Amino acid sequence: MISSLLRKKKDLSFERSYHAPVEAVWRAWTEADRLRRWWGPEKTTVGECEVDLRIGGRIYVVTVAGEEMGKYAGTRWPMDGTFSRIDDLKRLTYDARSWTEGEEETTTIHHANDVTLTADGSKTDLTLHVAITEIGSKAKLAAFGMKWGYKAQLDALEKLLAD
Amino acid sequence: MQAAVFSALGEPNRLRIVELLRASSFAVGDIADALGIRQPQVSKHLKVLADAGIVRVEPRARRRIYHLQAEPFDGIARWIGSFEALWDTRLDSLGDYLHANDDQEDRQ
Repeated sequence: MISSLLRKKKDLSFERSYHAPVEAVWRAWTEADRLRRWWGPEKTTVGECEVDLRIGGRIYVVTVAGEEMGKYAGTRWPMDGTFSRIDDLKRLTYDARSWTEGEEETTTIHHANDVTLTADGSKTDLTLHVAITEIGSKAKLAAFGMKWGYKAQLDALEKLLAD
Repeated sequence: MQAAVFSALGEPNRLRIVELLRASSFAVGDIADALGIRQPQVSKHLKVLADAGIVRVEPRARRRIYHLQAEPFDGIARWIGSFEALWDTRLDSLGDYLHANDDQEDRQ
């Protein structure tokens, strides 16, 4: 069924088991100076990071494209969220918006995030549910790399024409 | 166009129409009969779905036949795939961070 397929696609689930105590995993998610050390994917840095750990408090992280990203270097991708549930060392939920700075109108996606931690001796099991509720018209394009694809095509065309 | 896809599918009757069209292409009247929705309502829903690129209309004699379009669904799947990949990377990176940071501080 398309409805169940879409629901499944819009609701992402992740599971990990870390060889670290639950306190360490909790702090990595809830303390800004720790969060910023793992949040950004490769070729990016974390430009700003704020975590105000209380219901209604803010989780704000700005990922910045690094030099390796070429013409996108310096592009900023903020995520601005609000905590809706905080069960110490167990569960963290926040609703957030993510976008490309300067193109907020067309790139914003809304997502609800739910992190659950389960202590298992010296290990910690983590589950993350991300429910995507809205996608801006350009977000999709940016995310699956059409910009890069176009550039490669144009470069190839340019080369072909030069030959 | 993509921005409209989720909101277009967010209405229960529109989703029922999409599921019906998944089985086969139909005219407005057939859709109304099959789902027990009044024809003017079906037409309104089909307009929203067409504007979002989810269905395509084909005039056939005096009937208008509606076809489901694959592209918006492929688009969503690709987009979600990239978002999923980002989170996979990020959670692995958390693992690396936790292992590297496997220090006294956390174990005290």
